[in-house]
Amino acid sequence: MYLDMHSHSVSSDDSRATVEQYLKWIQVLRKRGNTVDGIVLTEHRKFDAHLDYSSLAEQYNVLVLKGSELDTRFGHFLVYGVTEPLTKELDFADVRMDARELMKAASHHGAFALPAHPGRFGIGLVDYMEQGESFPDVGIVELLNGGSRQGENERASDLCSQHGYLGTGGSDAHLTSHIGTCLTNFEATIATEQDLVEALHFGQFKPVWLQDTQKGAST
Amino acid sequence: MVMELEYDRSLYGKEHLAGPFDVTTELIQAFTASLSETNPVFIDEAAALAAGYKGLLAPPTFCTVFVSRVKLPDINLDFGKMQVHAGQRVQPRGDIVAGDQVTASSHLKDVYPKTGRSGTMVFVVWETTFRNQHGEVVADVQESFAVKE
Amino acid sequence: MPDFEDVELGDEIGPMETEATDDGVEAFCQVWENRKPNRFTDSESATKVGLPGPIVPGIMAMAIMTRLLTDWAGAGALKDLDVVFRQPVPHHKPLTVTATVTDTRQEDGENLVECDVMLTGAEGERYVGGKAIIALPSSAD
Repeated sequence: MYLDMHSHSVSSDDSRATVEQYLKWIQVLRKRGNTVDGIVLTEHRKFDAHLDYSSLAEQYNVLVLKGSELDTRFGHFLVYGVTEPLTKELDFADVRMDARELMKAASHHGAFALPAHPGRFGIGLVDYMEQGESFPDVGIVELLNGGSRQGENERASDLCSQHGYLGTGGSDAHLTSHIGTCLTNFEATIATEQDLVEALHFGQFKPVWLQDTQKGAST
Repeated sequence: MVMELEYDRSLYGKEHLAGPFDVTTELIQAFTASLSETNPVFIDEAAALAAGYKGLLAPPTFCTVFVSRVKLPDINLDFGKMQVHAGQRVQPRGDIVAGDQVTASSHLKDVYPKTGRSGTMVFVVWETTFRNQHGEVVADVQESFAVKE
Repeated sequence: MPDFEDVELGDEIGPMETEATDDGVEAFCQVWENRKPNRFTDSESATKVGLPGPIVPGIMAMAIMTRLLTDWAGAGALKDLDVVFRQPVPHHKPLTVTATVTDTRQEDGENLVECDVMLTGAEGERYVGGKAIIALPSSAD
């Protein structure tokens, strides 16, 4: 199952795409022979508990899940399976939160937090580790990010090789036509945010580029 | 610890006016020349008149050159040393032609922190409405600036 | 100028290849009347703030991107252009403007086309990216 694990709608301050526009674009991608089964909306510094995309998801036959991308002292972290108690324990708008505390709190509440674009210059986990910081709870990172500049995905890949981390893929789309550029190929069938958290724990997934989802491509 | 932003919050709801600014043929032609614009209605008055415009037509984002002429107050943000332009939105609402005069009215829209490749930043968002000499709205412009340490 | 009925999701507009010269930026800044010296026309001012050289003003990059859209759809067709300045835009380097149609709809009696618009560099640098809304005539007009 191919999921774009990292995307931003107009609910994020710097995105210009609506959810419906993403789902319409996925129809274009499917017509071109690609497979995109679902997306996870990971809005900046917030969780849109009250927004319900289920009718759009049904209309366009695309799974739409919700998560968050939080700013922390040690880079951005993607959070899946966000619960109301988690949003009460942590201030999602706090750009200086400790990522290690975030990971512990997420785990405690049945959610999953992992480093976004760890190879990104100036704000990736790789930079903080080079400064001497350690992140013992990290086991999965976002290996493929569609918004990466030259060298950044490679740094993330090296990080995974060095530490034995598993990697996910996500577009980091802020514009309609960027959705689905990178995805995560899960062995499991996922229908809810909790299924996604379980699948992450289970560990049977890998990051892919959109072209790898072409019918007939072997990944 | 949450980042508490200190700035002049009394600015919300206050309008800051500037202008009128003269939209001249020379100014439009200097703007379009700098961009290597080739559309005749933007560079040649006769072509614009022949196309039904009342004068040489200004390209749709032309008003953005006037935004910085609004003397915006310092929001007294207790953060950062330099400011860069982070984003812009222009909604052209009506034709602007040579001979028009436009006035600008700006207000503070939002201030919020975020992080990125350059570290921690504070974003400051201003909205400006441009009206012509007839009081008609000709453009709405929203600008966001990133204040960096 | 295309008819609304002929536009489909996924259509590509452009590319438009261009460049911003030192003279062009200087001329733009004169219209803009910004204070000198500044990071758009002066190398020292640019390097002082960590830039490799003088850069193109955001509003100039936006005006350059607008050229692709008004060339395609007509002088008065642009209804909305909303962009994020992602990376500093250099002088004297190849710049490419492209747009991709992402939505078409009729709203308040207008035929609207929405597209992603991007200003990129020769190595794929994403300098400026955003969204435009354009009103097109119908073949019935």
